[in-house]
Amino acid sequence: MPFLPDILQHRSLSIVGLEKNTGKTVCLNYILRRLDQLGVHVGVTSIGVDGEQTDAVFATAKPEITLYNGTHFITSEQHYLKRQVVSSIEYVDSQRTALGPMVTARVLVGGKVLLSGAASTSTLRRQLRQLSDMGCRLGIVDGALSRLSLASPTVTDAMILATGAAVSASVKQLVSRTRFLYNLICLDEVDAARRELLSPIASGLWGVADDGTVHDLGIASAFLIGRSEVDLLRFGKTIFASGAVSDRLLRTLTSKAKGITLIARDFTKLFITPEAYSDFVRRDGRLLVLQRSQLIAITLNPTSPQGFVLDSGSTCNALSDALQTPVYDVMKIPQE
Amino acid sequence: MKIKDLIKQDVGFQYVIDNMELMSSAGRQAMLESTFLTDHDAIEAAWRNLDEAVRATNDTENRRSYTDLRHCLMQLHDLRGTLASLASHTPLNEVELFEIKNLAMLCAKASVAIQGLGLAATLPLPSLEAVVALLDPDHTGIANFYIYDTYHPRLGPLRRELKALQEHEGDPQRIAALMAEQNDIQAEVCLRLSDSLATYCTPLAEAMRQMAYADYLLAQAELCERWHLSRPHLGSDIRYVGLWNPRLRHRNEELGLRYQPVDLSLEQGVTLITGANMAGKTVLLKSVGTAQLMAQCGFYVPADQAVTTVFDAVATSIGDEQDEMNGLSSYASEITKISDIVRRTRTERLLALIDEPARTTNPVEGKALVQSIITLLEQCPSVSMVTTHYGQLGTNCRRLRVRGFVEDMANVPLTPRNIGLFIDYSLTDDQSDDVPHEALRIAAILGCDAELLHLAEQNINQKQ
Repeated sequence: MPFLPDILQHRSLSIVGLEKNTGKTVCLNYILRRLDQLGVHVGVTSIGVDGEQTDAVFATAKPEITLYNGTHFITSEQHYLKRQVVSSIEYVDSQRTALGPMVTARVLVGGKVLLSGAASTSTLRRQLRQLSDMGCRLGIVDGALSRLSLASPTVTDAMILATGAAVSASVKQLVSRTRFLYNLICLDEVDAARRELLSPIASGLWGVADDGTVHDLGIASAFLIGRSEVDLLRFGKTIFASGAVSDRLLRTLTSKAKGITLIARDFTKLFITPEAYSDFVRRDGRLLVLQRSQLIAITLNPTSPQGFVLDSGSTCNALSDALQTPVYDVMKIPQE
Repeated sequence: MKIKDLIKQDVGFQYVIDNMELMSSAGRQAMLESTFLTDHDAIEAAWRNLDEAVRATNDTENRRSYTDLRHCLMQLHDLRGTLASLASHTPLNEVELFEIKNLAMLCAKASVAIQGLGLAATLPLPSLEAVVALLDPDHTGIANFYIYDTYHPRLGPLRRELKALQEHEGDPQRIAALMAEQNDIQAEVCLRLSDSLATYCTPLAEAMRQMAYADYLLAQAELCERWHLSRPHLGSDIRYVGLWNPRLRHRNEELGLRYQPVDLSLEQGVTLITGANMAGKTVLLKSVGTAQLMAQCGFYVPADQAVTTVFDAVATSIGDEQDEMNGLSSYASEITKISDIVRRTRTERLLALIDEPARTTNPVEGKALVQSIITLLEQCPSVSMVTTHYGQLGTNCRRLRVRGFVEDMANVPLTPRNIGLFIDYSLTDDQSDDVPHEALRIAAILGCDAELLHLAEQNINQKQ
């Protein structure tokens, strides 16, 4: 039974896909089934519209989410009314979405549901608190297309990364793209003192001096860096970016000096390409995060939405070798 | 006029409404939809309700009930859409039935809290026990909802079989068939429940309306406390002791600046307000307008003591950049407003607030316009307040002058920042037909170009 004990160390878990159709839902179903067998009280919610019977982008059949007795779940009114479970409504949010208000309910007789979720991470945080208040030992967030924000350690305690043939039909490409994101997830954390100092900063770019003091560099967002005349390194070679980190910021820093340390909030704030990152590293740049995400497992879906199927065994091995971490084929796990 | 329209008037009532701390969107809606009262008894009744709410919320004995009620109101959802469906016999779904059950249970809880606050007569809530009984057939007292087994004899056995099949991974086709049957029964029960609930449309809507009003009333009471507002009384004219402007006072307090409330009385006819620039004439007009809108919407007012009277409306002509943005010149926009006010005074009793009429046109015609405005407004039953810089108007209406610069402080260096410290904003009766001549002095304090000032002084001396 892979990675279940790890999951139970945490209060909340997000499942994010490197691409759509990388098998998040299969993975979620596996986890839900195992947790039910262990008698763990689980709550499930999602971000963005997900769990559609047919995939909105490729219109392929997509597995529904199977819930067991006693599980709490949050979905929109429209999808609640289409559920194939017997369940009791416990809470209806006053905020409305395009699919009606969000409904929180408890499953009385298990079956299948469609999950659709709110769009913001603040709503997600509130929902996870609510599920915890309702007695859930673990809150699981099902991710949606290209949404990494839910995996931020400020939202969920731990994450599972789903990758697969949908990312690329070439194993080499698949390994390289997965490894890049994996490397970002696994970036080193700053020390506790610096974290305490930098965490409360809400916006902008900051210079961190060697004496431990921080100074506003007068740039509101990394996206505003252009041919700015401001000397970014006037307080030293350590920079803290409170918000998003872009290629442009990385390239600007790379061009200024060697050996720069850039601190980001967490990996979900990094909007950078492998090329810009490797240039930065080649010039002895270091990228650190305030808080690192707990990556519990990487799962692989060898089938692409276009019908192309990778060899499960060799692809898993190639990924495991490259990442030095176990990779599971989601299609095979449930049968174990 | 409703509050949602009144906040668009340029007197600053919006600031008051923005500061109301409501618990629910239904309460906010109730506030925005409430009307400017023009009936003597209705205004008194609104104030009496607020008296009761202020008394109840200030009584420390009631703390628990007060917290309970606020907690109830926080959970209040706006179900007007659902109730409209119910009234038109559109079947409700389970989520809507849950909401109705919640409303009914919330109403019962709120009722107890309102009783505890001694507000049962002010905020009477209908009994929705019959609704609770319908939606809580097993008498659990819990606000959860689903189509309970009790609703249909087939549901219990069906669900037991379904559960057994699920647990033992039984035949998927059988599971699907049972689930479909279960869903059909659920839909049938929803239909039946909607039918039965339709009878209670009126008390449900009443509960919704009263709880939304309770939210609004409690927020009014809380504002009275937070802002130290005073209970106004109705009389034949307007008399304020210590009238203040909420927005300006709070801004000054934030900046650590002094704020001076003013005493003021207004009678039928025109009161002409004169005073130097920066003496707060426009603010005064806005303060009077805000206080009147608050009073006639059932609020207490920002003054130490207040007597006011009932108007059909508050009408204003106060410089508004918006019109200029819409392509009207400042003169065109102003004359449209003033003409509208003059017309309306023939049929309505207005509180008319006119800021420096005709200030943007030539002084010869401008003065003639102001004289005519005053003459017409003097003849009607409205109460009008007109500010002006024009002297020698030759009218015998009542005149008040803002005292303005305090002479004996003139030896202290004045700056644009501290200038407010040297202005006495209080009003004094003025018998003369002239206006203060302090424009150049203020320009000097504000750092006006020396050559410009010097020339202006020369021009004045030549004329004299």
